[in-house]
Order: sequence, then C-alpha cells, then structure tokens
Amino acid sequence: MSLDESLQIYIMESRDLLEQMEEALLTLEQNPQDEEKINAIFRAAHTIKGSAGLFGLDFIISFTHVAESVLHKVRNGEITIDESLVALLLEVGDFIGKLIDHVAESKTPDADTQAVSDALISRLNVYLSAESDMVPAAEHAATEVAAMTTVDEAESIERVETDCWHVSLRFGVNTFRSGMDPFSFIRYMKTIGTIAHLETMQQGFPALEEMDAESCYLGFEISYQTDADKLAIESIFDFVRDDCEIHILPPHSKISHYIDLIEKLSNEDLKLGEILVKCGTLTPNELESSLQQQATQQAMDKEPIGQTLVNQHMVQPDVVNAALEKQKQVKETKNSESNFIRIDANKLDELINLVGELIIAGAGATLVANKTANSEMTEATSTISTLVEQVRDSALALRMVQIGSTFSRFNRVVRDVSKELGKEIRLEISGEETELDKTVVEKISDPLTHLVRNSMDHGIESAEARLAKGKSAYGTLKLNAFHDSGSIVIEVSDDGAGLNRDKILAKAIEKGLVSAEQSLSDGDIYNLIFEAGFSTADAVSNLSGRGVGMDVVRRNIQALRGTINIQSQPGLGTTMRIRLPLTLAIIDGFLVNVAESAYVIPLDMVVECIELSTADYEASISDQRDFINLRGEVLPYLKLRDEFECKGAPPARQNIVVLQYAEQKIGLVVDKLIGEFQTVIKPLGKMFEHVKGIGGFTILGSGSVALVLDVPRMMQLANIGKNKEQEVVGVN
Amino acid sequence: MNDLMVANASSRQSAIAVNTIQQYLTFVLGREVFAINILNIKEIIEYGNVTEVPKMPGFIRGVINLRGAVVPVIDMAARFDKPTAEITRKTCIVIIEVAHEDSTQVVGVMVDAVNEVLDIEAGEIEPSPNFGANIRADFIEGMGKIAGKFVIILNVNKVLSVGEIAELAGSARSTSQL
Repeated sequence: MSLDESLQIYIMESRDLLEQMEEALLTLEQNPQDEEKINAIFRAAHTIKGSAGLFGLDFIISFTHVAESVLHKVRNGEITIDESLVALLLEVGDFIGKLIDHVAESKTPDADTQAVSDALISRLNVYLSAESDMVPAAEHAATEVAAMTTVDEAESIERVETDCWHVSLRFGVNTFRSGMDPFSFIRYMKTIGTIAHLETMQQGFPALEEMDAESCYLGFEISYQTDADKLAIESIFDFVRDDCEIHILPPHSKISHYIDLIEKLSNEDLKLGEILVKCGTLTPNELESSLQQQATQQAMDKEPIGQTLVNQHMVQPDVVNAALEKQKQVKETKNSESNFIRIDANKLDELINLVGELIIAGAGATLVANKTANSEMTEATSTISTLVEQVRDSALALRMVQIGSTFSRFNRVVRDVSKELGKEIRLEISGEETELDKTVVEKISDPLTHLVRNSMDHGIESAEARLAKGKSAYGTLKLNAFHDSGSIVIEVSDDGAGLNRDKILAKAIEKGLVSAEQSLSDGDIYNLIFEAGFSTADAVSNLSGRGVGMDVVRRNIQALRGTINIQSQPGLGTTMRIRLPLTLAIIDGFLVNVAESAYVIPLDMVVECIELSTADYEASISDQRDFINLRGEVLPYLKLRDEFECKGAPPARQNIVVLQYAEQKIGLVVDKLIGEFQTVIKPLGKMFEHVKGIGGFTILGSGSVALVLDVPRMMQLANIGKNKEQEVVGVN
Repeated sequence: MNDLMVANASSRQSAIAVNTIQQYLTFVLGREVFAINILNIKEIIEYGNVTEVPKMPGFIRGVINLRGAVVPVIDMAARFDKPTAEITRKTCIVIIEVAHEDSTQVVGVMVDAVNEVLDIEAGEIEPSPNFGANIRADFIEGMGKIAGKFVIILNVNKVLSVGEIAELAGSARSTSQL
C-alpha cells in the first residue's frame, strides 16, 4: 500500500471519527454525565492525533494535542462539561475537519488558519490554565508526540510503583536497509544506565517463509534504570527516530501515561498479563502467581486475571481497565473488520448493471422455454428466474443504507441555527432505520437541509410568541421516515405558526404566478411556495427568505422521480412530505399493452385491475365523463390511448389499472394486461429527457423495448389538465 | 471511457483533414443518394422491432434494443421534411455515433437502402451550395463527385444534433398538449 493510499484512508477515517465526535458532543450537551461519550470523544481526538504522527502532519498534531489535553482532564473528571465547553469543542472539531480538508487538498495551512488555530488554542488553554506548564508542552507536542510528554508533574494521582524508565521500541521495517543495527542502540543504552528487563516483541514477526531477511521486525519493551534525563535517553535514538515508534515513560509515571501507552501500542493481539509485564508494571513472577491463582479459581467463578491482580493489590485498577479496554478494542476492531468491507461504489454499480442484464437475459430464456413447450425446460428457467430475483434483491440491498446518519447530522444544524436565531428548538428523530438507495440518500441531504432551515426560520415562532399563543416555549422539529407502497416518505414537520394561506396567495397574485379569479385549494396554494422566486418572508435573513431555495428543493426531488407536498394548519404547524422511489435501477413492474406498445407500471403503485365496462366507456365518449364508480368511490381515469395519441380503434374489452400514489387514486385505461415483470430501468437519454409521463425504458424478454410510466408525473399532468379546463370554464 | 470516445471522435475529424482519401457509405432516401463518412458509423442492422415513443415529432421513429442499450431511431427522410417511404426488405438502420457536449450518443438512422462504400478524394469534394440542394445547407458537409455525379455528404453532427432533436421533441410535446 502506498503512502498516498494510506493517507486517503487516514482522511476518510478522520472524517468518520469527527462525525462520531460531533454526535457524542451533542449527546453530551443533553447529558453531561455520559462517560461512554466522553471516552468516545477522547478516543477520536487521540486517534486523529496519533495517526497524524504517522504522516508527519505536525499542524494537526500540535492543534489536536491541546484539545486532547482538555479532553483528558474532562475524562479524569477534573473539568466538568458544560455548554460553553461543548460549543468550544464543536468548533475544535470543525477546525480539525478543516485541517483534514487541507491534508486532502495537500495544502499547508495558511496564516488565516493559523490565526483560527491560535485563537482556539488560547481558548482551550483557559481550561488548562491550572497547569501553566501545559502551554509550552502543547507547542512542543508536534515534535514530542511519540514521547507522550512529561506534563502534569504536579498532579497527585496514583503512580505506578516501578522506579525504572520504561522504553518501548518498535524498529521500522527499513532499519537494516538504512544501515542501522538495533543492538548497537541497546548496547549504547547500557553505557548510560542499566537495562533492568528487556522483552523482545515477537508479534511483528511474519511466518518464516514470508520473512524478508533485509527487513527488520524487531520490537523491544525495556525497563531501564538510569540517572540520565529524558532528553538524553531520547537522543540515543536520534538516528532511527524517523521511522521507528519510540515511547519513553519516566519512572513513577502517572498511570494515565501507561494507559496511553497501552492504547498506543499497535494492535497486536496481546494477552492482558503480557501487556502488563511488558509495560514493566508487573514482574513476570507477579504475573505467574496471579496466573496460578486464576487457574485454581477458574473452576469456581472464572474470575478474569485482571480482577485477580486487582484483588491482590498487585496493580492499580486503572491500569487493568486500560489494558482491558485495549483488549476489547482489539477484539472490536477485529469484529468490525470481519463484518464490514469498504467497497468502491463503482464496483457495486457494475454489479447492479450486470444483474440488470442477467434479468433481461433470463426473461429472454423464459420466453424461449415457454415457446418450446418443454416442461422440464420451463421448470428449469423458472427456478433460475426465482434465483435471479433473489440475486437482484440482495444486490439492491447492498446499496441500501439507513437514513439515520443523514438525520443525525441535523442535530448539529438544528443546534447551530437555533442559537443563531435565538429560538429554542428541539429536534425529534424517528424512523432512522428506514433504508433507501445510497444515491438517493446523497442527493436528498441538501433539499432536506433547506427544508429544516426553512422550518426553523419561518415556521417556528420566537419563544415569546409561542408563550403568548399558549404553546411551550421551545419549538419542536420532527424528522421522520417510513416506507409506503414502494416509496420512502420523509417528513419534516414543525409545531410552528403554519403557513399563512392568504399571505401566500396575495404574494403569488402580486408576482403574477396565479390570477386573482382562480379558485385554488389549500394544497394548491401551499404548493405555490415551490415556484421560482417566491418568498413571503418580509426580511431576508441569513438563512432563508431569498426565495431561491424552495424551487431548487422541488427540482432536486423531482430529479429523483419523487414528489413533495405540504400540509399545514394555521397556528399548529407545517409538515413537508417528501416521497421518493426506493431505488433508481431495478423495480418490480406490471406490464400492460396499449395499441402495439408495451408499458411498464411500477408494481408497488398498482392496487387492482378491473374491466372497463362498455357502459362506462360509452359514457366517457358521449359525456366526456372520465370516471367510474369503484365500489361507491369516484375513480377518475386517464385513457392511455388518448394520452399517448395512439392510432387505431380500441379493442372491444379494455381494462383499468387502479393506481395509488401519495393520497391519490387514479385509473389508467389500457388495452391488455400482461402481468408482473422485473424491470431494469434504463435512462431516457438526452434525446427524450423532455418527455413527460415516461420515466425510462426497459427491455423485454423478447428483446423489444418497453416504456416505463412515470406515474407521479402523469398524475401531475392530469391535475394540470383539469385546472386548465377549470380556467377555461372560468373565463367563459 | 467517455473521454476516450470523445478523443476518438476528434481524432477522426483531424484524420479527415490529413488523409486525402476518405471512405464514405452511400445510401438511398427516396430517389436521392447521400453519403456519410464511415468513421462515424458503428454498424448497419436490419430494420425491425422499433418501439414507438408517444408524443414525439414524426422524424423520431422510436427506440430499438441494440444489445442491451436503448438507441433512438431517426427517420432521415422525415428529418429532411420528405415523405417517409414504406418499409421494405431493404430498409436498414445505420447506427451512428454523434458527438454531444462532452460525450457521444449512439443514434440509429432509418434509410431506404444502403448502397456501397466509396473512396472519395478530398479534391473531389466541392463545398456545399448555399441553396438548391433542397435540404438545409448546414446539414451538408460537402458535395462528393462520383463518376461525374454529385452525392450529398451529410454532416451527421448537424443532422443528428442531439440538442436540437431534444428541443424539437420537447416542443412537439407541448403543442400536442394544447
């Protein structure tokens, strides 16, 4: 793996960690006692800093180090988390994100960034001011990161008993190649002190046949007795410092430093006891005796060795906890490594395309098999098509992601915006486990942000206004998602003032979007806010009100073959409902025939099929009455023949396919019903992109092309047509 | 991939300028003979299995399945505002690659019959006349002289301009709606 690749991984990982950090911080704001979260934040900062050391990203190290020191104190309970600290840490997180961006663009931070960094560091230092020696430590951190610094000497918390220095050495792979001999360092160490104990680390050794004689795999844990100071010990390793991992702990170090060291050691799968021995915290004899004790106790209660050691007061609980945590982490990373694989999204797309081709080819095979009327052959192809269907489902499931991570990002948005607006707003999230296609998730994030900001800015009133209306002082914003007949529905709702119907109408008339005589339903009026250049906010705020957003929101959603509608109750709030297809690539379709052409309707929208009776058909010709009585309900219908201007007379028997989309039911009159069909949607391409009512092409088993109907669009067109008729009537 | 195709398309353009002899496919529309540079042509297939797309202008015949890709089929005669000939055994679809913005688009062209591939020297190609050819002047790349007769060499990027056709398709939809 090249350095470049590993740097990419570092960038990706750091961004993930920052996201986790942000989430944890927001939880902490609500619940400052959550130790789990404090640890999570600390670990995130620590890992970012530690890995930055591998790439020599000094500006990240020096900055993150200060943040880490503060977090360290938080974790030890020396600083209590409060709102202002969370706010500061959020800023710190954002800034680290920026630094990571710099790395991604391979830029070095400029003066502005440096200024921000200095400002944040000085604010962080306020929390550290108890120990003035922290500040220089922070400045040196970049060069001293490996050495874990000798800070907090004044602190009076437990220290490890040993009076030896502890030196942890991991020689770089290229040590021999650069002409160094690891043993010369050990020999030199002996000249300025005594090596009390030396443990050779064998974890780094590969299997014999894979071993490269020119590579160095050595690592040592050394307990070192000397009068020399830290600088002198460090200078021993000057020649190899660049490509080796060196940790030096002074005698009587704080336990937390051992904890850090244990956490820092590369993820070798060590036994807890061995870690302790190797760190010089325990002698092998102490370990042995505790092992014996464990063996005798095992039959009774299987007390873990860590517990045994604590019981015997051989080692302080903190050290054991750190070691346990390390073991747990090693296990966890192993588990998650085996459960998840990062895959290039393109490879996934390729697979889905292939599955699409497989479905088409399979349909062709089934057709041929049916023609030959060979029952064995038919059976075989039907088995294959069942399997292909399963393959399709699992392939599509690979692309499905939960919407939760998109939703939780809004915690931050809501927090920041509500601060900015001076309103107290709470975010409630539900349905975060609802899954949808990854490409859809990516594209829905921007429109959602806009809707959320809009609700907070225009929807939810100020605390005074709310109290005056007898509502709670804080506003509530809800994000919800659920599946509904082949679509995913995402709701953004607030308990604010609701949309002002008259104001919208007046504005629309003023802008010439509608004429004053037009009679519009409430829903129609609310939908006017999606027209380009529409904004009723009297003052343009920083967030919204420029009237450029809502039409973009609608366009983005329509580009995903989705729709958006609004429900609003004056004084009670507004709900924006986005409806999107679950996937963009392969769907279950229902095949029908009109004239000579085949059309596919998304199966999830089909409710039932009925015959169009001759009486109804005649009524539709003579009275232009395009609706039927469906068990007491009025069902309006569109005749596809007329809609698509097909030539020729309709057959004697026609059928109605009853469709449901959103809250609307509609019938489509077709010539012939064929049946279910697995549909691979092929895009319309540039030449047909303006065609309305058609969502794409698909290829039938016979090899001919069928058209996929865009039902939401057709319904919209039908509604517009109806309104136009109304207008004509109105004018007359 | 797309870049590559674009690169191919542009290298073809330069190839036309450099080589003196170019090969052209001649085909029949009604009673007239036209020619297209063969470098633009991917293949020629038999006419059939065309699915109509509703609400399209007359010159868009529909779409076909070309080994899994959906390809639009243009009726060349209708594009020149000439009557569409009946479909016979000789009717073919010529599959042509057209440059569009930064990529290429594959388009099928329905012709009454294909004749042969001819070598035409650059010196034998006259500039297009401003009028009198009875099709739009910008559709013509030049007039090739073959055995003393003139053959119209078409500029496929103009005749099959994806942008223009999409626009026409869009306006056809709105007129049919009114």
